[in-house]
Amino acid sequence: MSAADATVALRDPYHVGHAGESQARGHGAGGPASKRIVVGYGFWLFLLSDIVIFSCLFAAYAVLAQATAGGPSSKQIFDLNRVAIETACLLASSFFCGMASIAVAKRSRLWTQIWLVVTGLLGLAFILLEVSEFSALHAQGDGPTRSAFLTAFFTLVGCHGVHVSAGLLWLGTMMAQLFAKGFRADIRRRFLCFTMFWHFLDIIWVAIFSLVYLVGTKL
Amino acid sequence: MNLLGKLTWSAIPFDQPIPLFSAAVVILIVVGVLVWVAAKGWVPYLWKEWITSVDHKHIGVMYCLLGLLMLLRGFIDALMMRSQQALAFNAPGYLPPEHYDQIFSAHGTIMILFAAMPLVIGLMNFVVPLQLGVRDVAFPTLNSVSFWLTCTGALLVNLSLVVGEFARTGWLPFPPLSELRYSPGVGVDYYLWAVQISGVGTLLTGINFVTTILKTRTYGMTYLRMPMFCWTALAACMLIIAAFPVLTATLAMLTLDRYLGFHFFTNGAGGNPMMFTNLIWAWGHPEVYILVLPSFGIFSEVISTFSAKPLFGYRSMVIATLFICLVSFCVWLHHFFTMGPGGDVNAAFGIATSIIAVGTGVKMYNWLFTMYGGRIRFATPMLWSIGFLLTFITGGMTGVMLAVPPADFLLHNSMFLVAHFHHVIIAGVVFAVMAGITYWFPKAFGFRLDEGWGKATFWFAITGFYVTFVPLYILGFLGMTRRLQHYDVPEWRPWILLAAVGIFIYLCSAVCQIIQLAVSICNRDALRDVTGDPWDGRSLEWATPSPPPAFNFAHLPHVENLEAYWNVKQRAREESRLDGAAPYEDLEMPRNSPTGFVCAFFATFIGFALIWHIWWLMILGLIGAYATFVVFAWRDVPEYVIPAEEVARIDRANRAVRQEALLSEQPT
Amino acid sequence: MTMNTGHAEHADDDGDDHVPQVSTYLIGLTLAVLLTVASFWAVNTHLIYGPGIPVALASLAIAQMGIHLVFFLHLTTAPDNINNALALAFGLLIVGLIVFGSVWIMWHMNYNLMAMGHPM
Repeated sequence: MSAADATVALRDPYHVGHAGESQARGHGAGGPASKRIVVGYGFWLFLLSDIVIFSCLFAAYAVLAQATAGGPSSKQIFDLNRVAIETACLLASSFFCGMASIAVAKRSRLWTQIWLVVTGLLGLAFILLEVSEFSALHAQGDGPTRSAFLTAFFTLVGCHGVHVSAGLLWLGTMMAQLFAKGFRADIRRRFLCFTMFWHFLDIIWVAIFSLVYLVGTKL
Repeated sequence: MNLLGKLTWSAIPFDQPIPLFSAAVVILIVVGVLVWVAAKGWVPYLWKEWITSVDHKHIGVMYCLLGLLMLLRGFIDALMMRSQQALAFNAPGYLPPEHYDQIFSAHGTIMILFAAMPLVIGLMNFVVPLQLGVRDVAFPTLNSVSFWLTCTGALLVNLSLVVGEFARTGWLPFPPLSELRYSPGVGVDYYLWAVQISGVGTLLTGINFVTTILKTRTYGMTYLRMPMFCWTALAACMLIIAAFPVLTATLAMLTLDRYLGFHFFTNGAGGNPMMFTNLIWAWGHPEVYILVLPSFGIFSEVISTFSAKPLFGYRSMVIATLFICLVSFCVWLHHFFTMGPGGDVNAAFGIATSIIAVGTGVKMYNWLFTMYGGRIRFATPMLWSIGFLLTFITGGMTGVMLAVPPADFLLHNSMFLVAHFHHVIIAGVVFAVMAGITYWFPKAFGFRLDEGWGKATFWFAITGFYVTFVPLYILGFLGMTRRLQHYDVPEWRPWILLAAVGIFIYLCSAVCQIIQLAVSICNRDALRDVTGDPWDGRSLEWATPSPPPAFNFAHLPHVENLEAYWNVKQRAREESRLDGAAPYEDLEMPRNSPTGFVCAFFATFIGFALIWHIWWLMILGLIGAYATFVVFAWRDVPEYVIPAEEVARIDRANRAVRQEALLSEQPT
Repeated sequence: MTMNTGHAEHADDDGDDHVPQVSTYLIGLTLAVLLTVASFWAVNTHLIYGPGIPVALASLAIAQMGIHLVFFLHLTTAPDNINNALALAFGLLIVGLIVFGSVWIMWHMNYNLMAMGHPM
């Protein structure tokens, strides 16, 4: 053990601190982290920023939820059956996205595409259900311009829907890239980002169906 | 269905002489510069080396250039406002109210979002990877996208001068005034899209730098061996990631109200205008800390270098920085004490606001103790720093006065408030940027700036600042509110006139700054920075040649303690020789890419189309932007190789010069 | 600091992305389904004290989000992951400040600035 190590060991006998000794990359002594970790972390930060956007929309919804301006309230317009099916679709699509991750890790082209198609179809089902809900409400005059409550509802749930739709577009592009270029390192990094995004959408949906739909039918 | 949406010939201000004239001048200058550049044959060079560059150094320089240009534009707005108020005692002045309102709105928007932010981000861009001992940021192409999207925002704001109008709501467009009913023109829309688009760029910068600082430092550089500027950059970028989404969401809600008839902030149908104020300041307060934290970091670097002493109390500085970062998210209500939250809420946020001053106090003491016992050189960057130390203290104190809700009920939206925030922003951010640019200019361009003109710039600036803004404090006590186009209270007149004198003193500073640049460029050979270390610096950026090569460091440094470069230098001085060089290797660097520029090109059209309701153009723009994305994603070769011989040649040249300088140094 | 130890710089090796297990996803899915069913049940049952239902729903939601983070997003406290966990904690703090701060502030403002004659 060198003199420096001995000194550190005296100060830190149980190796609690790091004191620059960690040779792991991205921790100081080891130099910059690998690209996969760097890309993953950067995208994680982007997802957190997206969560903050949703939190503003949640805050606006919380403030405006009672501002029905003579229009319908949450109890009157929420259909929990539809919500249950949407939840099942999105949760299942998250699971199958996980299956696709395993297929990519195993470098199986066939199963990657299969699982991604299933993921996409379930996501599409979710979107179609949501669109049907929105257009039905709009058709009966209870669109987002009717009251502040409806504005906040349509925007919050709609923002999530826009994210899912963008995710589907990304999914299609990802499938094309995997098909054309195989499992190159940079494509796998992008796929990692896509899976993070897709799971994150389900996390946001958990908050939405719990705090908007379920609470809304109660209060 | 109108093919051009709301756009008609009446959008051009033919009937308003001042905007028309200014627009004509700007267009002439821009076209003139473009023609001159093309005629000189510089377009291929500019395209290859600058426009498509993903190099953090080039992007940093371009950010600073954008910021300085916008600083000038914002300053002209300030000149117009001060002179209008000087003339408008029982008189209409020369700026009609509709125009005056646009000027103060544009002044604030430009100064904060298109001058101060780009300058601070530009300095972070240039310096942070060099100080961390790495070759570039984590996501270089994303960095380019960020810059060009910021340019799009700046372009849209300035376009409003020529085509249409700008917002008249002030730099934060509070509803109901900013709702469609009371602002039916395109002004607020220009603001919304310019800020939204550039906001995306800024958010991406925040993500880029947090990742770079946390995940890609050089060997041996643990957190507590990072230079102070990197810590403040980290804190500021964490705030960007936390706060800018709030701006995006809130402006999006206002946009939905205006475009689709939603009811977030409308007066009727249950909307709540106060919600906008609440959310926008939840962004707005962290925003000013995003500006001021890296500024504090610049001062830490400059004061330490020009006192020839390590920064005093490094760990307490780190803690103070993180403390400020955290608490800055707990004080936002102090911007609207008077809107009606009531005593309990006001008290809580008032106390939090007073507490946040403690962090800055810690920093102040550390800077003073750094100077104490040091060997101080009064170069221009140090003058800016000392000016900051003296001025920011008092500006912060007026802030603590405002933090007391009962006092704020008298002072809110008076000239006292205007004086306070200019006081802290100019002393904090503008002085820091001046110091930083002067300090790092030789690193970027290979020659120093002229000292004499630099000192003149400083002295005019600090004098101009005090003569302009101290009268505004007095006006606040005399009852004058902000944003007045004319007034009729005789007691105010002498102070308003004095403030106008002050702004012309400050104008002298701006002129000196421009002269300094011109003179320095002409005398660049005399001012050459040969070794790369003109100030006897202490951190890693001074270990590179000036300007640094594309790869920054031939070998990534291995850091063993704080002030990495200083220790290398001391050892070299003791031994009278540099450390031996390791073998050179081929280096891979990220390839330049037009993605950023093309993306911003489409973003400009998308923004313009949305402002004027030209839907087909918007759709085309969106398709173009998506296509750009896909083209970038489809590329096969993201990097290019710099051969080892090239690396060796550059490094050996610099080492030879440094060795020579070392041998000729006087023994200390 | 030394500048010259001749360390070969890290090539763009991604490290092998380790193959996640199917069982991880299956456990996550099962738990998530259970929590979802529990949430829907909570609104329809009379077994939970009425005013406490929103709290129950929030708790179930938070639990399910945790399941997603651990089983689907593989968030751990391994050295490579600590930054992610810390970033998440910071993000959650911000979310809390914005949501609860805004609700607190707006409730007070609405109360203080309510129109005259409006039923309380």
